[in-house]
Amino acid sequence: MQGVDTGGTRGRLLFDRGTAWFLLAPAAVLVVIFLVGPFYYMTWTAFTDLSFANPDQHGAFIGFDNFRRLMREDDIFWSSFGRTLHFVVASVGLEFVLGFALALLIHRSVRSTRVVLTLLLIPMMLAPVAVGLLWKLLLQGDFGMVTHYLRSVGLLARDAAIFSDPSLVMPAIVAIDVWQWTPFVTLVVLAGLMSLPREPFEAATMDGAGPWRQFVDVLLPLMRPIIALVLLLRGIDAFKEFDKVFILTGGGPGTVSELLSIYAYRVNFKNWDIGYGAAVAFMVYLVVVILCSIFYKAVYWKPSGERVAA
Amino acid sequence: MGRMNGWLRGLAVVVALWQVPHSHAWTLEEAAKPYKGVTVRTIGEALPPLEAMKAMAPEFTKRTGIKVEIEMYEHSEAVNKVMLDLNSKRARYDFILQPHRELGKFVANKHLQPIDRFLDDPKLRDPSFEPAKVLYPGLWKEISWYQGKVYGFPFTALTMYAWYRNDLLNDPKERAGFKAKYGYDLQPARDWKQYRDLAEWFTRPDKGLYGTALQGKRHEALWYEWLNFLYSFGGDVLDVKAGSDCGPVIVNSPEAIESLEYYKSLVKFSPPDTLNYFWDDVMALMQQGKVFELIMWNDATYAVAEDKEASTVAGKMAFDLVPQGKGGKVGQVEGWSYLIPASAKNQAAAYLFIQWMMAYDQQLKQHLNGGASARPDVYASKDVQKLAYAKASMQTNEVAKPKATLPQSGEMTDILVREISTFLVGQKTAKAALDTSAKDISKLLGKCAPLKYPVK
Repeated sequence: MQGVDTGGTRGRLLFDRGTAWFLLAPAAVLVVIFLVGPFYYMTWTAFTDLSFANPDQHGAFIGFDNFRRLMREDDIFWSSFGRTLHFVVASVGLEFVLGFALALLIHRSVRSTRVVLTLLLIPMMLAPVAVGLLWKLLLQGDFGMVTHYLRSVGLLARDAAIFSDPSLVMPAIVAIDVWQWTPFVTLVVLAGLMSLPREPFEAATMDGAGPWRQFVDVLLPLMRPIIALVLLLRGIDAFKEFDKVFILTGGGPGTVSELLSIYAYRVNFKNWDIGYGAAVAFMVYLVVVILCSIFYKAVYWKPSGERVAA
Repeated sequence: MGRMNGWLRGLAVVVALWQVPHSHAWTLEEAAKPYKGVTVRTIGEALPPLEAMKAMAPEFTKRTGIKVEIEMYEHSEAVNKVMLDLNSKRARYDFILQPHRELGKFVANKHLQPIDRFLDDPKLRDPSFEPAKVLYPGLWKEISWYQGKVYGFPFTALTMYAWYRNDLLNDPKERAGFKAKYGYDLQPARDWKQYRDLAEWFTRPDKGLYGTALQGKRHEALWYEWLNFLYSFGGDVLDVKAGSDCGPVIVNSPEAIESLEYYKSLVKFSPPDTLNYFWDDVMALMQQGKVFELIMWNDATYAVAEDKEASTVAGKMAFDLVPQGKGGKVGQVEGWSYLIPASAKNQAAAYLFIQWMMAYDQQLKQHLNGGASARPDVYASKDVQKLAYAKASMQTNEVAKPKATLPQSGEMTDILVREISTFLVGQKTAKAALDTSAKDISKLLGKCAPLKYPVK
């Protein structure tokens, strides 16, 4: 009987495995077509001299030449890279602080969160292109409504315009990104706060910990995975920022708002230097991968005491 | 033998008589018969000339049975879609409408079908269509030829010239005040000093009026606009005779630096957001009556000068060549060209449509609806002469200067736009910006483009 049972179990297992593969196949095919395939092609292209403009560059394999040029000779790449890092730190930092504060406020003070959350989520639900066009009109230097009020209250000089003033362009772009994405941080953090157990806080209260100590020593450690997740998602997204900036300024004036994605666009679709453009895009991917691994470590990192106990 | 000769002579006369009517019997309907039911698809920039073509296409379909599908996109989108289509060899388009600066890239990569194949085909060629005679030769060569070979016909001969508010120029109070301050009569500028005087005089921010409006955004528009200043000041990008030639880089010449510095000096007479404007923005400002003078494209003129529904200054505009500097009378020309991809499926049908569009009647209709014809006889028409901008358009066509159409022209433009923009916002001096441009362009083009003016 045992033998029969074993045989039946094996058969079921094999059947289950076969079914599993069968059911997984469509998704796997789609992943290969839309993710693995293009990524492989981009990676391969980065090692070629392919250009749609230059007839002498048919896509011959040139090893690491594109990457060498990128690392050693391309000042614009590095300045765009630095500008993008500044943008990510400023926008994600502000979104996190404001989003966390807002989530705490809603968690503690608002009874019915539905209406508040629905209103909050509107900017996040807009397409980035729509956000770019919306703010382009609002901040337009001649008839923009926000520009008008900023001038009325004296925050903007009569002879100044936000997207023509190099010192105001990046702060404006960061502010628009914060406007759009703070609700996302709020939403995720709020979900985290609502799922926290009460016991650690009650224990801390019994031990005499005040609100600040509870925030620092109980709430923040418990929220660590959520915080890491939200920073990771926003960090990756901000690093790839393209649509809004392209519509608002096109990377200008000068090179003031030329982020890495805008530079990659120029190399690929203005100069049609596809091989080199793929190398630029690959670098963006590499940075995102590094960011992911750092945050992944942060999520699963445990203080030494906990590790010993475990 | 004599009878035989007579018989042969008679046969020759019959043959000749039979051939005469046939050689003149070319009709569009007959030529299009083999292609009846075919659909030709094209792509171009969504502007009045293409809208006019779209309005006329049904007439062609009615006569030939060939359907015409037209896709309209914003400038960059129209260019990018064609590049991707040609390189993917999908052959979506049977003919394309593209700016002539793209020509070298297409030819070098063998994407185009030379048009002489169709011109030499008696079945397709309308004998009454003689492009060498009916088109401005300079414009046709500039817009549709590359290295001595013809690839198409001009869809639009776009030129830039100076736009002025005629009502303000003729206002007695303005005239008196201007003469009192500057010591000469208020009139369209003859030189760049006068152009700046005019800009200064009419800059009244408190009344919502500005002397001029520069297209200062980091966009191709910036490069196009500055070329007018560059050429007029006696400078150029490359020291060459034709757009398809490669030669020494002279974009950092003293004339070029002077022109760029002058260009920036106009920023203070422009609205505050001028460094974020491209052609659509300045056209809208002019339509709203907020600007006195600017340098703009001829295909935008109709919407400002004639269209009373769209413009508050319709009927109040004057037009003239750009002011003269050391370079004399010059015009900056950018044409869009009818081109047939080598991979196109319906080349003959596409050619028939293009040829039909190039005929006088269609050219006139298109021109009167916002087009920019390359046929001088269109400008001679009474209806065209009535347009306020006809004379300026014609004069600019005659002094049009070539610009680079090399395969690398897109990248050259991108370099110049970047550097001019960095100068406008004060990140670099004019010399540093143009030196960097010269260095980058020379490196891009290689040995054929040495630096004429050394860069440290």
